[in-house]
Amino acid sequence: MRKDIIVAVCLAIVIVVVSYIVTLGGGLGPLFNDVRPLATIYLSTALNTYNITFTAMSPEAVTAIVWDYRGLDTLFETAVFYLAIIGSVAVYRGIDEKLRASEGFGLSKIVKVVTKLLIPMNIAIAASIALHGHLTPGGGFQAGAAMAVIPILLIVVFSRYFLLDIRLSKGLALALRSIGLVGIALTVFIPVVIGLIRGLNAYIMQNQAKINAPVSLPAFIGDSLISGSLILYNVSEFLAVSFGFAILFILLSIEEGLVKDQMRGEDVEH
Amino acid sequence: MELTYLLLAISMLFALIATYLAIIEKNLVKAVIFSALQSISFTLALYLLKAPDIVLVYLPITVGVYPAAILFLIRKTEEVEEL
Repeated sequence: MRKDIIVAVCLAIVIVVVSYIVTLGGGLGPLFNDVRPLATIYLSTALNTYNITFTAMSPEAVTAIVWDYRGLDTLFETAVFYLAIIGSVAVYRGIDEKLRASEGFGLSKIVKVVTKLLIPMNIAIAASIALHGHLTPGGGFQAGAAMAVIPILLIVVFSRYFLLDIRLSKGLALALRSIGLVGIALTVFIPVVIGLIRGLNAYIMQNQAKINAPVSLPAFIGDSLISGSLILYNVSEFLAVSFGFAILFILLSIEEGLVKDQMRGEDVEH
Repeated sequence: MELTYLLLAISMLFALIATYLAIIEKNLVKAVIFSALQSISFTLALYLLKAPDIVLVYLPITVGVYPAAILFLIRKTEEVEEL
């Protein structure tokens, strides 16, 4: 017990000293007062209708960086996530998730009612994070992560058979996730296709017109700012991430006994 | 400004305590809960550091998805850590 106190005091001293150096001591430069030169570049170009050379037509500088300025980086991050989900699907290959080992009871009625109230709010928040991802903080992955909480809640509160009852199976989740990934892939090639049709120079993942590549996706629909390709990427990534996590938790929630029986190849009672 | 620093210091100290409890806790379910508490205080710190994009992804992943995944794994293995 005394050793614990010594360790805790040492850790507290370390964190206080480090945070003093980082913040008030100015060890890493001012954190709150100044905007750094690199940030100034992105803030002045992210939404700039006067100088359209480098603009991404999005007031949200983070989304502009993630899907426009360093778009290929994010594309390969999505590929990593895709491979991780494919890996878990491969581990559970041949396992029938529709088999039932028992009746699912879930938690008490109070918890179920509260969850029923929470889920529409959660869907609305996730959709707003995805659809406003190019205007306010947020984006595809953030919205997908917010949406991924819903299958977890349903599995924990209502039991995993509830997901089967509302027909959210592994196959459906895989299909919706594939739609999201195909959406990302199509958005990557839209500028090139437009360029080929109109005989103009264009790059993959291009959003707005550049000096030697005058193809740009529409930044406005009517008066609404949609930031060209950014909204398409955000919505597609939202589908891919949310249903990717859904697959993961559908697979994780299968009873261990059922999985082992099926892996041994024994007959399972239906 | 001073209030921001104060809240930042409090949330990071709370995170430190939660991390320490998560490490020394032998019951893995309780350790996951301490880890989620640490994530909540990190979320507050990230918000104070003006990173709302990170907050939006950090909160559901570290308080929802990651504890759920670990709890499923604990259910499939053992609940109490044995040395």
